This record gives sequence, structure tokens and C-alpha cells, in this order.
Amino acid sequence: MEPRQLIETLAVAALFAPLFSAACIILATRRVMFKSAGVLATGVMAGGFVCSVVALVTWLGLDDTSPIVTNIGWIPIPGSEAGWLYLGVLIDSLTVAILAMVTGISMLVHLYSIGYMDGDPRYNRFFGYLSLFTFSMLGIVLANSLLMLFVFWELVGLTSYLLIGFWFEKRGPQLACKKAFVMNRIGDMGFLVGFGILFAKLGGNILLPAVHGGMFDAIRAAVEAEGYSMANPPMWLTMAGIGVFFGAIGKSAQFPLHTWLPDAMEGPTPVSSIVHSATMVAAGVYLTARIYPILTPGAHLFIATIGLITLVMAACMALVMTDIKRVLAYSTLSQLGYMVLGLGAGAYSFALFHLITHAFFKCCLFQCSGSVIHAAHHQQDMRYYGGLGRKMPITMICYGICTLAIAGASLPFTSIGISGFYSKDGIIAGTVNYGVAMQSLGSWGNLFWIGPTVVAYITVFYMARSFALTFLGEPRDKHLHEHAHEVPWTMTLPQVCLAIMAVIAATLPFLKLIEVSEPAIGGEAVAWMQPTEALGDAHNPGMHATHAYLLHGLGWIIMLVLGVVMYRPGMKYAEKIAAIPGINLLYHWAHNKFFFDELYDTIAVGVCKLAATIIALIDKYLVDGMVNLAGWVTRQLADAVGLFDQRVVDGAVNGAAAMATSGGQILRSTQTGRVRAYVLFLFASATVVTLVVVTVVLVSP
Amino acid sequence: MTHPALDIGLTHYLLVTTTLVAAGIATILTKRNAIGILIGVELVLNAAAINLVAYNHFAWSAGKGGPAIEGVMFTAFIIVLAAAEAAVALAIVLNYYNNFSSVDVDQADSLSG
Repeated sequence: MEPRQLIETLAVAALFAPLFSAACIILATRRVMFKSAGVLATGVMAGGFVCSVVALVTWLGLDDTSPIVTNIGWIPIPGSEAGWLYLGVLIDSLTVAILAMVTGISMLVHLYSIGYMDGDPRYNRFFGYLSLFTFSMLGIVLANSLLMLFVFWELVGLTSYLLIGFWFEKRGPQLACKKAFVMNRIGDMGFLVGFGILFAKLGGNILLPAVHGGMFDAIRAAVEAEGYSMANPPMWLTMAGIGVFFGAIGKSAQFPLHTWLPDAMEGPTPVSSIVHSATMVAAGVYLTARIYPILTPGAHLFIATIGLITLVMAACMALVMTDIKRVLAYSTLSQLGYMVLGLGAGAYSFALFHLITHAFFKCCLFQCSGSVIHAAHHQQDMRYYGGLGRKMPITMICYGICTLAIAGASLPFTSIGISGFYSKDGIIAGTVNYGVAMQSLGSWGNLFWIGPTVVAYITVFYMARSFALTFLGEPRDKHLHEHAHEVPWTMTLPQVCLAIMAVIAATLPFLKLIEVSEPAIGGEAVAWMQPTEALGDAHNPGMHATHAYLLHGLGWIIMLVLGVVMYRPGMKYAEKIAAIPGINLLYHWAHNKFFFDELYDTIAVGVCKLAATIIALIDKYLVDGMVNLAGWVTRQLADAVGLFDQRVVDGAVNGAAAMATSGGQILRSTQTGRVRAYVLFLFASATVVTLVVVTVVLVSP
Repeated sequence: MTHPALDIGLTHYLLVTTTLVAAGIATILTKRNAIGILIGVELVLNAAAINLVAYNHFAWSAGKGGPAIEGVMFTAFIIVLAAAEAAVALAIVLNYYNNFSSVDVDQADSLSG
């Protein structure tokens, strides 16, 4: 088979593999498939992973790296250049890289779930949902047009809702899945607004594949038709970019729609591990990368600002959380902030590379936390942990490696490090250039690189904190510690695989693939992207030399040691610090997640309640008033009719009766009861009759 | 040949019976005593009986050209009927007396409307 055709076939096979297993599991009855559901889903997912790895290797051997676009006309749309609503796939080097990452992580999460979900009454359904979730994400990765992407986008929203609310008997998951769904809908509305702007300008051409030669050329033609150029873009293009990015804000849990992600912890831990790495949150970043060529400098600034706010804010919250999963959740927010900031700042390759490296180590971290929670009988508060390393050595080592990875550890004074080091350092380098290039912002532009640099150190600290609190020191809860045990192999194996990936991801050709995809996306057509252009060699690996990794190389070790020393004995130092006046207010503020939930409660929910009250008043007085008026009118009419009935109809009846009565009264006077009177009448009448008869007879001729 | 004044014809009979009927009706109307009324009724009945006999003799027999007995038969019926009527009437009067302790018909106005 021709290599490009082979890649396409394999990608489609990888896409439909999880759908197949989901259909089998969901449609089969409990008796047919319960225990086997986990094995089936994992096996099929492994098949999908093999397909995508073969596709990736085949792609690496290609000479022609132009995107593979397949279009199957589905619904004819007359009057547009596209002519059809296409179904199909779009495969470029970014797609192959993300495809391999998603299928690989999904397979490991499936494997992990076999151990973690063991004994759950809805064991089979969990795997059905998980496979469907993976299918939706793969659909986003492979979608050829913006519309098709949106369809899978919503599928991801739905399946995440099902998974977060998997334990729907409990109050927490119920609220969390609703919150995730609503927050995503808010973001999706922005997506639709952006989509609508593009639709207004492009018409049916929005259905063209999102590549050069497809939708992007149509946008360019629309821009030039209005007398603008891609170097001097019109306002609507900026707004469309920001609008579509709003979808990414929802899915990737960026400020201000970030509040759903920490609450999504209520779902089973395998769900957290896949949501926080390969799917869902990755979808937002991926979408932003897909629409990268149409993002204007204004949109870039917006995206970078959102990313910056998110990464700083989330890191501060991660510092004070005591729930192990919440720390990881806020660290995910922070790392997503890095990616979004990177995309906004033009460090395209490193942002997406960070997406992949982060997926590996964050998935591993969540699986380790899941194992700890599993071993600690669902105690999630790190204050009750301590010393678990001795009981769970494999989990501790995996967690430790991934802590180093997320910290961006490197050998001091060299540029040799673990995967997170390369990706995060590249993003910071990109932001340095962006901050310098954004001269219109003045010295404020420096925030764009100061923020991520400082947060890099904070990241090391809070990860060291969670590691020390969980695995090091003396057991703080004897009972919990005694019952803790290492988890079965189905759970440790994925952890180990992911930890290995977290170390070596940088040596794999992911970065190379993504860099190849960048010209295809950010090539000649987007030469107007002034900040990126000014970056020059932002994505040049040599950029590490410009970054102060000398400081960083020592810095991460200092922060790591500080974190471990401070938290090894538990929370006692932290509590003392948190009690200092001034700091205690900050602590309280961060501990309550900056009061975002309360703010949204007050504003959004408050406004809704106010509106509801007003509507209730309208309902009560206007609508009910009208109903009551109708009732009143009917009643008056009925009264009138009743009166008619009473007076006229009854009157006629009563009148007849009265006439009968009075007639009877008159006639009864003749009924004297006296016999002689009767006889008199008798004879008198007889006489009269006789006289009449005689007279008639006599008179008649 | 008899005196014309003694030549009694149908008219004379009718005059007598008319007088009788008038007397009977007057008796019925004026008497308050139930027995008296009964006597009045008997007068009326006998007037009718005389009428039938008279017509039989003067009009019916003459019309047929020979003696006829139809009127006489009816008269016999009337006599029998009067006897039966008297028996029934006297039973009524007896009952009436039992109820009202009187034979005064004016006191019996219970059926007054």
C-alpha cells in the first residue's frame, strides 16, 4: 500500500477502534460483558495505539510531508465553493504526534482502570464511557473541518460529563459534572460566535478543510477582498480568533472558566488522569493550534494574557491545597497556562511539545495519586499521609520522576534534562522574545516572561511539597499507614510506562514532528504574525543558551530541597507561616481558590436569580393577572347568563305555574263542596243547554 | 163523548210531570235534610216514569198503530232503579250520619276547594 494511504487507513482505524469497543460494551448486556469489558477495551485501545505508532513511523519515513486531506461529501450544500458538507480526516505531522500520544495514554489509562475500577457495580459501563471519550478526542484530532471538529468537541463535552458524574449517587460528582458541562457550554458559545463570524464572512467555504488551500485561503481571500491584508488584519478576524479560542478557554480550563477542572476531581481517578493529560484539556490547546494561522496579533495578545493569568493564579492555589488530587488539578491548570501562553507568544512548537510531555507526566502523577488514594482507603488529604514511600516504592519512584519532569529538572550548568525541561524552557524562551517584541506594551511586556519563570520555581516547590507530604517523613495516620499496600500490576505497569515516557519523551521525534507542522500552519500565509516573526529563532533549540538555565539549573534544586525540607515533617512549618498576619489573609484567599466560585455564585447565579424573581413577578401579576381576568370575565358572563336563566327561563316556567295556580284559584271557588249548590249548577246548566238547543232548533229553518 | 175539558191528552200528562219535576228540583235545592233531598229525587224519577208511560200511550203506540210496551218496560226499570237507588242513598245517609252526627247536607263541605 502506498505510504500516505496506509497512514490514512491506520489513523481511521485508530479513530474507530475505541468507538467499536464502546459500542460493544454499551450495547451488550451485563451478563454478556462485565468483567471482560476492561480487557476488551484495553485490547482494542492497544490495537489503536499500534496503528497510530505504525502511522507515526511511516510518516517519519515520508518525503512529502504535506497534509493528507480526505474529503467524503456527505451533504451537498449548493451555492458554496465547497459544495459539500465533508466528512473526512486531516493528517499532518502534528496530528500523527498527538494521535500517538492520545492512543498511548488512553491505552494505559484503560489498563490502569482495570485495577482501579475493580469491584465497581458499573465496571463495564465505565469502560464504555472511557472508550467513547477517547473516540471523541481522536475525532477532534483527526477532524478535517472546523464544523466536524465542533461535533467531536461537543462529544468530548458530553462524555466528560458522563465520566465526571460516574459516581452519580454522590452529591459531589453530581454537582461537578453539571459544573463542567455548564462551564464548557459557556466556552462553546464563544466558539459558536467565532464560528458565526467566520460563517458570515466565508459562507459555505467554512466547510472547507482547515488547511492551506482550504479554509485558510478562503479567509485570506475574504480579508483581501475587504482591502485588508494578512499583515494588517481586519477587526472581525481578531474577534473570530478570540471567539474560537473561547471554546479552548472552556475545554482547557483557562481563566475565567477554570473552576470546573478542580471540581472534576470528583470523578474516578482514571478519568482525572485522562482528562488532565491526553483528552479534554488537550483539546483546547489543540484547537488553538489548528486555528493558529488565522490568529491576529490582537488575538495572540489576548491568548497570551489569558495563559499568563491562568498559570500564575493556578500555581498560587496549588501551593496551599491539601487534597492530593487538587494540587495536581491546579498544577494542570498552571501547565495549561504555559501552553496557552506559549501559543499566544508564538512559541508554537514548544507549547504543543509541552502538551505532549505534560500529558505523560501528568497522567502518571494522577495515576500515582490514584494508587495512593486506592491504598489509603479513599483518604485524599495529604495531611493524613506521610511515609507511604516505604509501603509503595514503585508508586513513589514514578511520582518522584514525574515531579522532576513537571519541575523541568536539568543537570546544573548543562542543557541536558528531563522532558519537561525542554518543553517548558522553550516556552519561557518564547515568552522572553514575545515580551521584548511587544514594545507597544512598554515594560508591561516583561510580565510575559517574568510570570512563567517565577511560576516554574513555584511549580517545583508545590510538587516537592506534595511528594514530601505523601511519601516522605513519618506516618501521620498510623491506621492508614498500616493498611497501605502497593497496588496490583495493572496499576503499576501504566505508571512505570508513563514515567519512562516522561523521561525520554524529549528524545522521541515529537518535537521534530511538531516543528515540521509549524511551517505548514504558520508558513508564508502568516508572515504577518509580527511577534512570531520578531522571535526569529524562538523555536531554535539553541535558544536555551539565551535562557538563564544556569540560574534555573540551581534554582530548581534549591526549590526542591526547600519543599522537601519544609514539608517532610508534615504541615507544622507551613501552619506557622500561614499564621503570620498578612500572609494568613493571602493563605485564606488562595485556599478558597481566590473566591472564584463565590464570585460566580454572586454574579452569575445572583443575576439568574434576580432575573428569575422578575420573571416570577411578571408571571404572578401579568400572566396570572390575564388568567384571572379571563376567569373574572367568564364569571361575569356566567352571572349574566345565570340571571337570564333565573329570570327569563325560570320566569316562563314559574309564570306558567303561576297562571295555573291562579286559574286553579278561580276555578276552586266553584268547588264549594255543598251538594245543593252542585245540583243548582247542574239544573241551571241543563236549563241553559236546553234553552239553547230549543232556540237553535226553533230558529233554524 | 167526554167533556173536552176532561179529554186528557199528552199535554196534560206533560204538565203534571213538569210540575212534578219542578217540585222535585225545588225540593232538592231547598231541603237541607238528606232524606228530603232523597224525596225530591224520587219526585224527579217519578216524573220521568210518568213521562215514559204517557209517551208510550200517546206517541209511541200511535206511531206503531197498536199497543206498545217499551215505555212501560222502561218505567218498570225506573221503579226498580229507584228502589235500588233509595237503598244505596239511605246507606249513604246512614254513613253520613255516622260521620257528621247529622243529616244536614250543608255541613258536608269537606270537598270545598
